[in-house]
Amino acid sequence: MISRRAALVAGGSTAAVVAAGGTGYLVATHDKPEPLSPPSVNADGKLLWRNWSGIQTAYPSARLAPRDEGELASMLKTATAPVRPVGAGHSFTALAPTSGSLLSLDSLSGVISWEGDEALVLAGTRLGALGPALAEKGRAMANLPDINKQSLAGALATATHGTGSKLQALHGDVTGLRLVTPDGRVIDCSADSNAEVFQAARVSLGALGVISQVRLKTIPNRRIRRRVWIEPFQDALAKAEARWAQHRNFEFYAVPFTGLAVGVSHDETDDPAQARGADQDSAFLDALKGLRNLLGFSTPLRKAAARALLASAKPETAVDEGWKLLSTERPVRFNEMEFHLPADRQLKVLEEVVATLEKERPDVFFPIEVRRIASDDAWLSPFQGGARGSVAVHTHYKDDFAFLYELIEPIFRRHGGRPHWGKLHTLKDQQLAALYPRWEDFLKVRAELDPQGRMLNPYLKGLFGLV
Amino acid sequence: MREVLSAIAAILLLAACGEKPPVAPTPEQALLLKPADPRLAGLYETSCKACHAAPDTGAPQVHDRAAWDPRWKQGEAVLLDHTIQGYKAMPASGQCATCAPDDFKGLIRFMAGREDPA
Repeated sequence: MISRRAALVAGGSTAAVVAAGGTGYLVATHDKPEPLSPPSVNADGKLLWRNWSGIQTAYPSARLAPRDEGELASMLKTATAPVRPVGAGHSFTALAPTSGSLLSLDSLSGVISWEGDEALVLAGTRLGALGPALAEKGRAMANLPDINKQSLAGALATATHGTGSKLQALHGDVTGLRLVTPDGRVIDCSADSNAEVFQAARVSLGALGVISQVRLKTIPNRRIRRRVWIEPFQDALAKAEARWAQHRNFEFYAVPFTGLAVGVSHDETDDPAQARGADQDSAFLDALKGLRNLLGFSTPLRKAAARALLASAKPETAVDEGWKLLSTERPVRFNEMEFHLPADRQLKVLEEVVATLEKERPDVFFPIEVRRIASDDAWLSPFQGGARGSVAVHTHYKDDFAFLYELIEPIFRRHGGRPHWGKLHTLKDQQLAALYPRWEDFLKVRAELDPQGRMLNPYLKGLFGLV
Repeated sequence: MREVLSAIAAILLLAACGEKPPVAPTPEQALLLKPADPRLAGLYETSCKACHAAPDTGAPQVHDRAAWDPRWKQGEAVLLDHTIQGYKAMPASGQCATCAPDDFKGLIRFMAGREDPA
């Protein structure tokens, strides 16, 4: 998340905060036990499936792992419905759970071939494996999300994105794809061929069938300089627009209850590689949790302590190939709500979210991620029709997240926010139709490709207004 | 004869007790390790390796007996349950949606440096 954050924190101070917060009575009142676990095997002998954060569960009657596109087509024709494709399980919404068939593309992984600078990639390829595979050819993806464990198909299905005012989300680089429909047909589509299927399928929640391969635009695999720094939150707000204009990739994290923000920029460079060093994210989060546990009763005290400990930390720099720096490890699991807002409202919304959290929820300690994404024209892209600014609120996986729906989502909705498809939200049917001009067109294509609704689990039926 | 066998057994037992776990592979060596079984190797490459051959993740690294031995002592059933459920930073099923329980057992044994049933 905020990579290198902990390197910004004086080590001794961090330890002191964690130690002070980690040994006293107050910790016991804040730190939650592991969430209740459903049985690993149910009464019918079916194995548990859970998403990354643990809040979505299912006991699929079948688990399918086709070895090639032909086998995928055969399986789709006969599989027990609902058929739900799954990648790394990073979605917080109930896109993947099914009592029918859970289908993994893990065996469809790797770069098939090149057409000039465009790579033909099997859709089950994990993003973390795609980076080195493209680098072998001296190429790279223009943008990457801050987690790289997802499958390419899963990332596209949910409009997964990185950050950069001139950079589109991942599906913006897709120039063609092959969709295997629930009745086993294979449709080749692009902006010039089966264009309606293409515009619907680039971001399609795994609801039209299963994407088997994707043609991706790439860029030269350049080294980039990563900078991470800490500054007052108000400075981050004042300088954000200029930084989005200045840097290839820029994002920042508002750190509630500290009055601080952490900036992260990436820019191309010819400088020699400079190691990033060991990851410190967990230590930084531990420090923030320690501050909450120790001083959560008083926001002024908590802010003063945070500023004393964190504000003077030195910036950090690393240089390496982009695929090695843009994504980072997330050793601490969490739940998350992220909405994509009209760019001109993003920072006002952020201020309102931070103020609301600091007034209502002293238990929150995770930083809030703030990114910018260029527009594209996929029908269900949250970035369709104009650039969007993203605001993402996280909670530790053991902590309550209901407040995201009660306190935070109404703020996002009041300002025209569109939800990230893989992150927590309550919107469905007509609420989504009001946000997406091509919503009805998408539903029409979906009905044509899957008239029996074999790809729809209860969550998707509700989302599409089919219940 | 019995005394001789007892002495040999005692020596072997002492040797076993004093045995140090093998030195952990370097990060570069860890990247090259994979299970001998082709199916497990495929599952490992796709799912486990992203964290268990990447020191930054905090996951116990492949064949790092010093990291794995305390976990191994908990017993296979506990490790299997933690794998299926997810445990602390470990995501459920290690993000392998098609792994069966026997696959998980094989992958745990491999990563823990316990592939040899003896």
